[in-house]
Amino acid sequence: MASESSASALSANEPSVNDSAANESSTNASADRMETLRAKIAAELPNVDFVLAYGRGFDPLHATPVTVRGEKDLDRLIFDPTCVQNLATSLYGLRGKRLGVVVKGCDSRSIVQLLQERLWERENLVIFGLPCEGVLDLAKLRATLDIASARAASFTGSPRDGLLRLTFNDDGGHDGERTREIETKGLLADKCLRCQHPNPLVFDHMIGPETLPQGAQDDYADLAALEKLSTQERFDFWKRQMGRCIRCYACRNACPLCVCKHVCLADSREPHWLSAEATLQEKWLFQVMHALHLAGRCTECGECQRSCPMGIPILLLKRMMNRELKELFNYQAGVSLEAIPPLHTFLMEEDRIKDRGLLW
Amino acid sequence: MPDMDRDYRIIGFLCNWCSYGGADAAGVARFNQPTELRIIRVPCSGRVDPMFVAKALLSGADGVLVSGCHPRDCHYTEGNLYARRRLELLRRFLPIIGVDEGRFEYVWVSASEGSRWRDMVTKFTEKIHQLGPMPRMAETARTLCALEGMLGVSSAQPDMWRPGEPGHDALLSMDEYKEVMDGE
Amino acid sequence: MRIGVMVCHCGNNIAATVDCEAVAAAAREFPDVVFATDHMYACSDPGQGTIEKTIRELKLDGVVVASCSPRMHEVTFRRAVERAGLNRYMFEMANIREHVAWISLDRKRNTEKAIDLVRMAVEKLRYDRPLTAKSFEVQKRVLIIGAGVAGIQAALDCAEGGLDVVLVERKASIGGVMSKLDKTFPTIDCSVCVLGPKMVDVGQHPRITLHTLSEVEELSGYVGNFEVTIRKKTPYVDWVKCTGCGACLEKCPSRKVPDSHNEGISTTTAITIPFPQAIPKRAAIDPTVCLHFTKGTCGVCKKVCPADAIDYDLKDEVVTEKVGAVIAATGLDLFDHRKCGEYGGGRYPDVITSLQYERMLSASGPTNGHIQRPSDGAEPKTVVFISCVGSRDRSVDRPYCSNFCCMYTAKQAILTRDHIPDSRAYVFYMDIRATGKGYEEFVRRAQEEYEVQYIRGRVAQIYPLYPLAGPEGNQLVVRGADTLLGVQVEIKADLVVLAVGAESAHGAPALAEKLRISYDAYGFFLESHPKLRPVETNTVGVFLAGACQAPKDIPASVAQASAAAGKVLALLSKDKLESDPQIAQVQAMRCIGCGKCERTCPFGAIRMRELRDGAKRAEVVETVCQGCGICSVTCPVRAIQLAHFTDSQLLAEVNALCRTWTETTGS
Repeated sequence: MASESSASALSANEPSVNDSAANESSTNASADRMETLRAKIAAELPNVDFVLAYGRGFDPLHATPVTVRGEKDLDRLIFDPTCVQNLATSLYGLRGKRLGVVVKGCDSRSIVQLLQERLWERENLVIFGLPCEGVLDLAKLRATLDIASARAASFTGSPRDGLLRLTFNDDGGHDGERTREIETKGLLADKCLRCQHPNPLVFDHMIGPETLPQGAQDDYADLAALEKLSTQERFDFWKRQMGRCIRCYACRNACPLCVCKHVCLADSREPHWLSAEATLQEKWLFQVMHALHLAGRCTECGECQRSCPMGIPILLLKRMMNRELKELFNYQAGVSLEAIPPLHTFLMEEDRIKDRGLLW
Repeated sequence: MPDMDRDYRIIGFLCNWCSYGGADAAGVARFNQPTELRIIRVPCSGRVDPMFVAKALLSGADGVLVSGCHPRDCHYTEGNLYARRRLELLRRFLPIIGVDEGRFEYVWVSASEGSRWRDMVTKFTEKIHQLGPMPRMAETARTLCALEGMLGVSSAQPDMWRPGEPGHDALLSMDEYKEVMDGE
Repeated sequence: MRIGVMVCHCGNNIAATVDCEAVAAAAREFPDVVFATDHMYACSDPGQGTIEKTIRELKLDGVVVASCSPRMHEVTFRRAVERAGLNRYMFEMANIREHVAWISLDRKRNTEKAIDLVRMAVEKLRYDRPLTAKSFEVQKRVLIIGAGVAGIQAALDCAEGGLDVVLVERKASIGGVMSKLDKTFPTIDCSVCVLGPKMVDVGQHPRITLHTLSEVEELSGYVGNFEVTIRKKTPYVDWVKCTGCGACLEKCPSRKVPDSHNEGISTTTAITIPFPQAIPKRAAIDPTVCLHFTKGTCGVCKKVCPADAIDYDLKDEVVTEKVGAVIAATGLDLFDHRKCGEYGGGRYPDVITSLQYERMLSASGPTNGHIQRPSDGAEPKTVVFISCVGSRDRSVDRPYCSNFCCMYTAKQAILTRDHIPDSRAYVFYMDIRATGKGYEEFVRRAQEEYEVQYIRGRVAQIYPLYPLAGPEGNQLVVRGADTLLGVQVEIKADLVVLAVGAESAHGAPALAEKLRISYDAYGFFLESHPKLRPVETNTVGVFLAGACQAPKDIPASVAQASAAAGKVLALLSKDKLESDPQIAQVQAMRCIGCGKCERTCPFGAIRMRELRDGAKRAEVVETVCQGCGICSVTCPVRAIQLAHFTDSQLLAEVNALCRTWTETTGS
């Protein structure tokens, strides 16, 4: 909690280039916004079983999902760039309840997709939308710092151009402390750098002013880099990546759209797609299956890759699928409640698919 | 020149109504064809799960050919039209996992098109011969340390991220990559 | 599981290029295979007997036969295993004839491939489960599309057999091409005198519902329970009131309309009755030429109609009918000779088609049976017939033989000599195809008795003798080759008749798509098997009659029509039909109720059922499901599986192949 109060105090003193930037820059950490969120949630509490929101995790750089069931829980709420989790992931398992949920722009796309697929009932959901200018990728922070010993963290300004102040215990054995300030820009998750939907697309309560999308369109530079390799090199790349897989299925469990994980094909004997053998084939095929299952559904929230304990870049597979879906069908998942998923329909004459028989 | 002496492993998924009949017609007409293709009969190209193709290719098949009725001509009216979308997407997806796009093809052959079927089999088989065998899972991989962390910044494991290495913003250039590979 | 395998030699068809004994020996090593043998003819009586005996003696649970295509004999062998007490779906076929023996002479590779195919079949069989058919009620009615002679014959046969018939015809009258013919070969019977009474029967039969000026818009459902949507175009005449008196025709001021019944060689009125024997004999307005519709000025027919039947405000009507079976009898169209520049490309009025000539010969035709040159009305003394115009000609993409042109050309040549005794008739031909009963004799008569000059060769060019029409009249020079004599010939002709070939009826492919049947590159509908199932299509319950399947003459069309009627009568003689049990099945435990299968099913065969707790589960309507398997791929959980083609079964086949390869390549 300390981090938040200090962050808001600092943001008030933050010199600003212009007014609008100042307004934007305060969105993520504004105390006002937290007050509004608490008030809105408090008002809705009688109408829902509970509200899924963010609270402080085991250290100042980690957030954790919390359930708000009563007024007393309101104090636990936080919202800052450490709130990386997509809370929509928990929704499907709670189907049948009446819930509130706190979402960032990207998370809201998962909800749009769940609603579009009729996997949740809109009337049983109260959505608290929070415009978001980015969350941290802790790996990027770890690259330069031993963050385990950080005692406090506070954010200044917008994550897009602000600062993260970390407080460490002084190593000198004195009772003092040491602080360090880092620009947050370089710490943002990759998905935030290409974010086009910082404002929730579906919500009942929009908390705080809406923000502008990140400037750059997604250029799929990561895919392009991989595509520069030869086919054999790509194969070897994945062979090595998939070889690390321990089949823990964290990727599946973190996916907000893997709604059938309780009857997942990976565990099923009938039909028997995968064996329990820990062979490269099985690991690899599971990832391809996951990507194929999510074709036309994946919103690139990135939870699969973030949750992978082995650091396998599996989001690339889904991004490949999404890039091609966009090109073939001009389709993007999770942005429209009414859209018909491209694989559930067809055109008699497909504009962008050539007749395969004549190509060779 | 493709090596035509070696046999490759090619699986065909053919719809019962058009393409399986077309393959029968090619046989009835005694059209000489390469022998490598093994045909699995399915009711409709709409039954062909892209995952069957992925499964076959990742399990050792060198090529997979799917054939269905021509658009508008599906016995079930729409099966091949769904198939077309699913299979086109798969075809575009496969290269990213290191499967040459030529290893998978989907075509339309009607029950009367025996000679077209012969052409398809012949051309596809030739294509697979040109591509050579599918890389094997069991072979020792060339180590690709340099690529780790280069793509998709790993966020979870400290040891996956080495200080000082470029992240997403600074991908390895191809020259750098080759350098690492050659130095191995 | 106990599996038996039989490898068929098919005489020498398979055994010549596949080592059948080696295949059987290899099969003995496959899991669960307790017996494998080879046999000269698995489908023969002794072959099937061996299968049955082995099932009983060795208590087999399933059988694999490696022989021909399952499209050929799957049903045969299923019956055999059923006779021996097994479920008919505990059977798999490996196609080692069409897909192996007949496509390669490499015995070693063929044998390896055959072993692989048997292995796949065995692995699939290990996942086979007994399936039982469900029975369902049928509609004892048949839809017949097209009312030419084939459709008429099929309609009458079906109606006489006790079925209700819905007969749909695109034109205003039934009768088709045959109603335009003057005489028929080889008997020189009057065509319409033969057909007319049948047309009347159709019009009067209590079991036949006739929809003319109508087209099929949509066909849904499945064998036994089709639902057809028919668009009845309005004739702008109330046909209940119209008596067919013809008063409107006499007064109609729009008289320059090309008469399609007369192939455009005469004109008719905008409101018209196609021909005297038309059924139904009712007037219809062509709104594209009627002055009331084009200019909004006229209303004469409405004034003169004694029955007050004309109603310009009538609209198209859409009716739906439920039927149990469908016969397609949409017939043929004729080749457009304007594509052939060597015959003038349609520029010369005295170069006409055989059907135009036929109308001229007809006593009820525009010239009352007198042969007249279109250019000046003179009686031609020299008539040249050119056969194979748009037949057996790759240059115009018509490589096939149109079957009947040789014969009608002989007939027309004879009739020419009959009508004009001092005339001369020449026929340019490629070959004479006179294979029917009495046909060869008929052509001989033309040549010998009627002295028709047959010249074997192609015509290279037709050109006017006097481009500006001189004293000789409008004669044409037909220049060609006589390949028997090896000389060039030139004939000065007064009239040239082109024996135009047959094409599929326009719109045939679109109709085929509606009926979910296949068609060939030329639009002719595809039969289920060229030898053994020439009347059936690949869609159960849809049959073919007449020239829609391939060019046919009248007796062949009538024969096929009766055959189709026989098939329909046999099919609908049962009160209930059995549905194919190879349909989608839902594993309710796995279903998450997302409804994606419901959305993609082309047949509306999936419903969402609500459980007591409000959760939803997919449910398959068994008689509606056609077994395509689209749903299975759509289902994220693969909770909906197509019986006999389940994921596990297809994976077993894939695995069977991949495993052997992994083993044999040693990696």
